[in-house]
Parts: sequence; C-alpha cells; structure tokens
Amino acid sequence: MTALPSANPNTKRRRTWRKNAMMPSVPTIALFVLPALILYTVFMVYPLVQALIFSTFEFNGLVRGDFVGLHNFQELFTRYPLNEQLPRAFGHNVAFFIGTMTIQTSLGLLFARLLHRPRFGKRFFRTVFTMPYLISPIVVGYLWRLMLNPLFGPVNNTLRDVGLGDLAKPWLGDPATALPTVILVNAWMWVGFPMLLFGAGLAGIEDDLREAARIDGASDWRIFRHIELPLLTPVIGIVTVLTFIGNFNAFGIVWSLAGADGPPAGATDVLGLVFYRTAFAGGPDAFGLASALAVLMFLFIFTVSVGVQTWFRRLEDKLQ
Amino acid sequence: MRSRARFAAISLLATLVLAMFAGVAMAQDDVTITVWSWRTEDEDAYNEIFDVYEEANPGVTVEFVPFVSTDYNNILATGLTGDGGPDVVQLRAYGGVQSLIDAGQLMPLDGEVDLSNFTDAILKGATGQADGRVYGVPFGVQALGAFYNVGVFEELGLTEPETWEEFTAALDTIAEAGYIPIGNPALDSWMLPILHDAVAAPRYGGPEFQEAVLAGETDFTDENYVASIAVLQDIQPYLPPDVTGVGYNDARTLFISGLSPIFIGGSFEIGFWKSEAPDIEVGMFMVPPPPESLTGPLVPSWMDGSYGVNALTDSPEESLALVEWMGTVEFGQMFTDKINQLSPVAGTEPTDPLLAEFATAMMENPAAYMLLVDFRYGDPTGTNILGPEIQSLFLGETTPEEIAQSLQDGISQWFVPAEAE
Repeated sequence: MTALPSANPNTKRRRTWRKNAMMPSVPTIALFVLPALILYTVFMVYPLVQALIFSTFEFNGLVRGDFVGLHNFQELFTRYPLNEQLPRAFGHNVAFFIGTMTIQTSLGLLFARLLHRPRFGKRFFRTVFTMPYLISPIVVGYLWRLMLNPLFGPVNNTLRDVGLGDLAKPWLGDPATALPTVILVNAWMWVGFPMLLFGAGLAGIEDDLREAARIDGASDWRIFRHIELPLLTPVIGIVTVLTFIGNFNAFGIVWSLAGADGPPAGATDVLGLVFYRTAFAGGPDAFGLASALAVLMFLFIFTVSVGVQTWFRRLEDKLQ
Repeated sequence: MRSRARFAAISLLATLVLAMFAGVAMAQDDVTITVWSWRTEDEDAYNEIFDVYEEANPGVTVEFVPFVSTDYNNILATGLTGDGGPDVVQLRAYGGVQSLIDAGQLMPLDGEVDLSNFTDAILKGATGQADGRVYGVPFGVQALGAFYNVGVFEELGLTEPETWEEFTAALDTIAEAGYIPIGNPALDSWMLPILHDAVAAPRYGGPEFQEAVLAGETDFTDENYVASIAVLQDIQPYLPPDVTGVGYNDARTLFISGLSPIFIGGSFEIGFWKSEAPDIEVGMFMVPPPPESLTGPLVPSWMDGSYGVNALTDSPEESLALVEWMGTVEFGQMFTDKINQLSPVAGTEPTDPLLAEFATAMMENPAAYMLLVDFRYGDPTGTNILGPEIQSLFLGETTPEEIAQSLQDGISQWFVPAEAE
C-alpha cells in the first residue's frame, strides 16, 4: 500500500518544488531568513548558551568565580532543603500537568464540541471562555486569592450564606486543597485556549464524513468517538505539548495565588518557584545554582516535548 | 542692513560663549551626588531631608533615586559595576550586603567617617564578614513587639499583660467576646520566624543562647530552642482559624478593621496603622515571657540597612561627607520624624509616641532577631527554613523537635561556629 504514489504526497510535492524555476537563490533566502535568525540567536540561543556556561561556574553575587564543572548540579540534589524541595516540586508539576490535562483539556474539548453547532451564542460564549487568558496570570492569581480568602472571601461567604458552611474551606491554606485549587484556577484561566484549537480542528473536519456516518446510522457519540476524535489527533498533540510546556514552566499564577515558597508548607511548590527562590532569594552562589536548575528544566521540557510530538506524529500516521 | 546683521550675529555668538564659560565655571563648583534606594514610598521625605543638607552645603546637589524594592538588589549589583552608577547607595543589612563587599564594590568607611553614634551591635549589620570593616552608615532599626487595639482592650477591661498568665487570660477574654485574639498570618512564611522570636525569644534565652550558638557551645536542637518552638503551638488556638490560609495583608486587615485586637509584628507596621487606621488608637506591649523562660521579656531587633559609598564614585569626598552626615543626630532625628521608623543614631528620640514606646522597650530589653542577624550569611537562611516549617507545625504535620533538627541541618551546611574555626 505504501508503495502507491498517492500515499506519500510529500515527496512528490518536494520534487516539483525543486524543479520550479521560481526557486529563489541562496543569498535571497539568506536575506529573508537572517533578520529572524539574528533576533533568535541574540534573544534565545545566546541566553541559553550563557545559562549553560553560568551553570558551570561558581558565583559570588554577580561576580563570576572559578570553573566548578558539575558542582552546581550536584548542589541542587544535595543541599538541604533544596534536595527535598526539588523532587517535591517536580511531583507537583506532574500533578499540575495531569490535573490540567484532565480538567482543562477535556473541558476545552467539551466546550468546543458544544459550540461547534449552535447558530446562536457561539461567538458570545467563545469570547467569554477565552477572556480570562487575556488577563495577566498575576492579576488572575490575585483576584482568585481575594475570592478564596478564608476570612473575607466571597466564595466561602456564599457557601455559608446558602447553608453549605461545611464546604467553606481555607482553599489555599490547606495542603489537601491548595494544589487542586491552583490547578482549577489555572484551568479557569486557560480553558478557552484548547477550546479555540479544538474548535478550529472540528471546523476543519469535512461535514461529508459526518453525514456519511449519520446515513449509516451512527449516533452523535459514535461520530464524535470514531470520526472527530481520531481526526483531532494532531490538535490533541499540540494541546498536550503546549500544556506540558506551560505547566512545567508555571510560575506567575502559583506565585500570585499562593506565594513564593509554595505555601502552606510547600504544598503548592513548583519548579518555577524553586527557581525563583534560588535565583532571587538564594545565597551568594545563587547565580550558578539557578542557572544549573534552569538548564535542567530546559533539557527536561525540551526532551519530553520532542518525545511527545514524535509519539503523536507516529499515532497520526497509524490512524491514517 | 549688512552690518546690523553682522552685529546681531556677533553679539549672539558672544552671548553663547559667555554662557558656555559660565556653565563650565558652575560645573566645576557644583557636584551632584546620586543616592540609590529601595524606598519608593519615602521619596518625598528623603527629598525634604536632603534639602536641609543642600542648604548647609552650597554647591552640592543630592539626587534621590528610588527603585522598586524587589528589583533593587539586581539593579544595584549592576549599577555598581560600571560608569554612570550611583555615588551613595542604600544597602541591605547583615548577609544581604556581603556579596557587594566581597566584590570590592563599596568603600570601607571606618577611619574615614565618624561612626561614634552607633553601637557595635548596630554596626555589625554593615560590617564585612571577611575583613571586619564597616561599609555603611546605618539608617534604621526595626524591633518586634505586640500591637494592640486600645479601644477593644478598654471595652473588655483589659490592661497590657505583664505575665504569661495575664496574657493568656486576656486572650481568653478576647476570644469569648467574639474577636480573633491574635490576628497574625501564616500563609506568608516570612512572618512566622518574626512571630516565633517576638513570642518565644525569652524561652530559648535570647542573647545568651545566641552567643552559645555562635560559639558552638550549643545548636538549634537545644531543648530550650525546641521548647521555644512549642510555645507557638500554645498560642495557635488564639490565631485566626485556618491560619495557614491567612495572608499578611488579610491579617493587617483583621487588625485595622477591629476584628482582631492584637497583631504581633515589627515596628515597620506603625506607618501602615497610622495611614490606614487613623481612628484606631494603637498601643504596644512586649509579649510576656512564656513559662520556664530563661530571661525576662525581650524586644528582638535588627539593623535595617545602611548607606554606603560606591567604590567607583567620581566624587568620593562629597559622598563620604554625605554619609557621615547621615550618621549625625540631625539626620537621625529627621529620619525618625519624617519616615516613622527608629533611628539607630544615639541621641535621637522618636516623636511618635508608639515608636517611642518601641525605642524604650528595645533599649531596656535588648535582643537580636537572631535568625536575621546571624543566619543570613549563607544558603539556606535560617528564616527561609523556619517559616515553612512553622506552617507545617500549624498544620499538625511536624513536631518542634523535627523543626529544630531541620533548622540545624540547613544552617550547618554553611555556618561554622567560632569554636570550630
């Protein structure tokens, strides 16, 4: 089957492209690529390399000392209490990601599906659902912190007023509810984003397919499960990778909602906060140590993102 | 016509040349000293203070440039490395200033500037750990104590407690009347070591214990230190319910809204009480020593920061003269009057009655806020460990023994007692 030319349209397209007389010359291509490449190198590659270099040096304040090899990396895993905070924060990031995928991504998909059809209210609800992520995470965190305040917050006051006083919890002050609360607030903020992507994905599926299935007697659920969902695989892949990157770099929302040391007692501590504390509230060697942590976080996020993307691409191929 | 135009041109040129010469002449006499600070809220007060200095020192202009506090350390570290930096800089205290000293970015002041108005304990906060030299003229002192709402105390027939029994009895009365007795936060971890030291320093022995730890005769696992942490468990019932969910600003709101009549904290709150709750009469008392205390009541305090001179300044003479002036009673008195903080300069007297009470209490019952004063010279700092650990204590997840051990484990990674050196 794969030998059929139609099964591999990419090679064909590439061949015609090369033959094309309109193909610009190398200097022309370079001229167009260079501005972006220079900006990218100056603002992305250079700082990354710089961080990598910093991570192998000893620092005293901003003054660079001796080359220490992997000492900073070793410190990350041996210095108390960093050696306990780091794995705990990593665990919280994993929980953050799983929680977000379960709640935010499923809700995003649900809303996208619900808003795919109706003639009225579509635009209104789309706007409403996407509005929170136009606000800065710091502001969202601050607002929700006020809302969830155990003493004066409207959330608990409302619960008490309607006779559900038992449910009025110190949402951000109890280790059992603190991280789930952060995940929910974050989902509240971002749910519109997967919704938009899924919405675009659903709109891209040809109605002929749905009609054909319906004529064959398929229910709405079966159409969704066996036609729409498989065809949304590329979108699911993108959403997963973006969610993963966002969650493992989470900082602003946790910082403003809970605090710099992930209170209470580290229950909301994530890698971003550990980095922040190491870099800005750490000791004299903070610069090297924080750079080492930044390098590790980058390598981890980069590797997993590439891995997940490859996996989804294979899945797409299989489904095709 | 032509000659008139030429005359106009020549006279214009002459005026310009004259103006230029005048400018050069002025620039030779005039010096502008740039002062960097993290106190954006004190800009007006500082400008008024420096106006007085400018009047007394013609030809010197002092320019006060404040930056956002949280960014200040980075801005300063960069500003001190090259041209165009400040002349005089506000410096953090104790461990917070060491990296600038080690990097040689500050001018040593001892021997250059009269520091006779300061005690050694105060100067310690501006002293280099490695060379023992003084790099800053201290500007402020903070002290810990309990603020109370005089109106509520009068309404309930309470007076300032002098023993632990009176203290807890007062707390019970307050609770029965429907108030939250002590409206302190536990969500913001930095307030917790403050609460611990303000309430329980006498239990571990204050200055004597501090000396013993520094000398290596004991450490934080000492039974008295453990017992001092346990005191927090005794007062937890008087703190707000679900205290680990109550933030710093929530707690201050509890106090200014009258819902809670006691707030245990630092003298730096006085300005806030004054501006946000002008109608509430606020008093202060020292928290009485808990049972089995090793000392009488204590007022833990610390030097808040100092003013130093950039080693690369273009005007070293004028900069040194300015910081020397900041060590005089004239500056100290204006500082405490206009900024509502305690001045470390001997001979100054706060005009604000509440601040004066703090000053008297501090003078009569001196102690150091030990974790800040001695244990911020390395990573992790003492306060960074104790804060989250006390949250765990309030949540019932740890014990005072475990906390003391954790504190000792963290600090012993960089702290070397004098005996072992």
